[in-house]
Amino acid sequence: MLEWLWRGLRGGRVTTRYPSRAEIPPEPFQGRVEVLEASGGDPSLATLCPTGAISVDGDGAVQLDRGLCILCGECVRGAPDRFRFQAAYETASRPRAGLLVGARGHFPNVEPVRADLAPSRALRRSIHIRHVDSGSDGAEEWEIQALLNPYYDIQRLGFFFTSSPRHADVLLVTGGVTEPMRAPLERVWQVMPEPKAVVAVGTDACSGGLSATTGATAGGVDRVLPVDVYVPGSPPSPIAILDGLLLAVDALTGASR
Amino acid sequence: MTTLAADSAGPKWLPRQLHGQLEPSPPDEVRMLVAPGGFGTAARILHEAGARFVTLTVTERPERSLVLVAALRAHLVAIRTPLRRGERPRHGRLGEWWPAARWLERELVERDAIMPSAEEEQRRLTVPDPDRIDGEVEGAGVFAIPYGPIRSGIFEAVQFLIETGGEDIPRLHTRLLFKHRGLEARFRGMNPDRAAVVAERVAGIASVAHATAFAQAVERALGVKAPPRAQRWRAVLAELERIANHLDVIAKQAETTALFVGQARFQILKEDVLRLQARLTGSRFGRGMVVPGGMRHEGCLPPSVLVDELDEFERQLRKDQRLFVGTASMTDRLIGTGRLDRELVEEYAAVGPVARGSGLSIDARHERPYGEYSRMGTVVQTARAGDAMARVEVRFGEIHESIRLVRQAADHLARRDRELRCRLREPAGSALGWVEAPQGELVYWVEVEQGTISHVHIASPSLRNWALFDEAFPKDVLTDFAFIEHSFGLTPAGADR
Repeated sequence: MLEWLWRGLRGGRVTTRYPSRAEIPPEPFQGRVEVLEASGGDPSLATLCPTGAISVDGDGAVQLDRGLCILCGECVRGAPDRFRFQAAYETASRPRAGLLVGARGHFPNVEPVRADLAPSRALRRSIHIRHVDSGSDGAEEWEIQALLNPYYDIQRLGFFFTSSPRHADVLLVTGGVTEPMRAPLERVWQVMPEPKAVVAVGTDACSGGLSATTGATAGGVDRVLPVDVYVPGSPPSPIAILDGLLLAVDALTGASR
Repeated sequence: MTTLAADSAGPKWLPRQLHGQLEPSPPDEVRMLVAPGGFGTAARILHEAGARFVTLTVTERPERSLVLVAALRAHLVAIRTPLRRGERPRHGRLGEWWPAARWLERELVERDAIMPSAEEEQRRLTVPDPDRIDGEVEGAGVFAIPYGPIRSGIFEAVQFLIETGGEDIPRLHTRLLFKHRGLEARFRGMNPDRAAVVAERVAGIASVAHATAFAQAVERALGVKAPPRAQRWRAVLAELERIANHLDVIAKQAETTALFVGQARFQILKEDVLRLQARLTGSRFGRGMVVPGGMRHEGCLPPSVLVDELDEFERQLRKDQRLFVGTASMTDRLIGTGRLDRELVEEYAAVGPVARGSGLSIDARHERPYGEYSRMGTVVQTARAGDAMARVEVRFGEIHESIRLVRQAADHLARRDRELRCRLREPAGSALGWVEAPQGELVYWVEVEQGTISHVHIASPSLRNWALFDEAFPKDVLTDFAFIEHSFGLTPAGADR
């Protein structure tokens, strides 16, 4: 046991300082897609996307819905002058409309929220999280579990996972809600005390993603529960999920105010 | 592409009693057409010849057929019998005498309504009801615990109906398919190039394995081969994925014993691999690279940097591994836990580390070497004991073997061939494609028509191994549950599709 202790101490500190300091992704990281040129788009651009995240209106205004985007890169390869991968972790948004980028879209500037929360966040008031998988591809679970590893260690910020939904402030949902998971998910939400916030983790949870059109899922958590924070990504990185959790804290404190 | 003539007697290793007409097929795959009445008999002959069950499904090419796929002497044998609408095959249930076939057969009965279904199904497989508690074991104080689909901790949705008198578990019943997303049908109508994104999202923790199995099935169906350079990159990504999966299992074992520093160490190593994947591919899960015909682009790191990173990774791993296997409080919980006899493993046709931990040398990279593995050669890691510890030993062994394979592939990547992708010229075809995923042998059946995917079936290792999980508790108690579950290392997403 002492050997383990020594081994642990020798490793030194690896934990990120996020959110008080930014975390920089590696250069090729494909965190989200941005629209470089939103006007004068050909209607055929919409067919580039397998999940229908791209739309072009009559005036040629191009819009991308990150809530539907599975980061496959078809648009980036098909129209590199219009779409580009951004090496960025943060994808979360509180209003659903905040996931729209391009012509009429506006990715909300949540920096003030983050700056506001970061210094005061640590252990001020702990937040308990319940996770429910309603039909993910399994990668989202890995990224949520990663939040507890020494690199991210969200317990330093006062976030804890809880077994009982009756103790939970935040419900993290992955997956687009399959039929057998609908009732268990609703039950978990119903027994959570107020105030509560729902975070949809991953593009599947935001919109159903690839399974939106198969008829096997409801097509997103917000078809079943009121969603407070959307964290698109396929899967979203641990930092993106942490960012979503911070926005959920904002939603909770807003509600209790 | 070598094809067997339809009138030939067939390869020598095929059982001679097997009557049917051989059909043309890609290499390493034998297809046989049998009369509707002969399907059950053919399946029995294969079973008696020692074939390992792989899958049972309905295919559409060249006509709607019921197909049984089994592995015999390292070859895949597909027995097909035509299905006419409204007509049910006359053979009985294969699952009655071949346990490995049970779940897939039930899924066919419930979803396609084509198999003989004499009685109304009592326990529905495809529409699981989490509220139904139907214990089968009777006795004083025996009760059933419905564990899941929402469990304490961060887990995927799956339910276990555990029947227990308090300590021992006389019966366990796993309920899958809570997460069925209809992804096999999602492939239909997509062009092969684009459909790879669906394969990557069937089981997210085995994205590269699924994409590669799919890509290879398409390539075999259309009679092309990915360029050598693409095959090397595929092997690099697949082995990194395997390392991350095995480390995940080991970290979870440490967590279950409350060996917190060990848990933290293996989580750090796993995160290091995911970050390496991100630097190499832009995705922490290696997505967006593999595509039918080859690779989309080169890795974003030079192979030499990759090797340097792995050297450092291996140094760290060796230290943690030495401590892990030397910690008695850890190994005591694993030794003798969840012991699986070799015969049982064979009966259920288990694959991957679960089978290898019980002494079976089953590894698709070795049995039917594909891509770069046909040049590199893989040392199959096995252990004899069949318990949770044996499965951990297999995983440690495989991590080191994976590192060796990545080094070897990276060496070859230093060559100056640049071709990464070939064109898919043929418009139609069908084939099986396979890889050794971290969970075990993964097989795709893919049909292409007019240049688009017309039908896909996925035989996932998680679904096949889960049938065995229900049998893994002969002498174990409730507190062993988590150890045994983690030692299997399966993913419900892969099983449910």
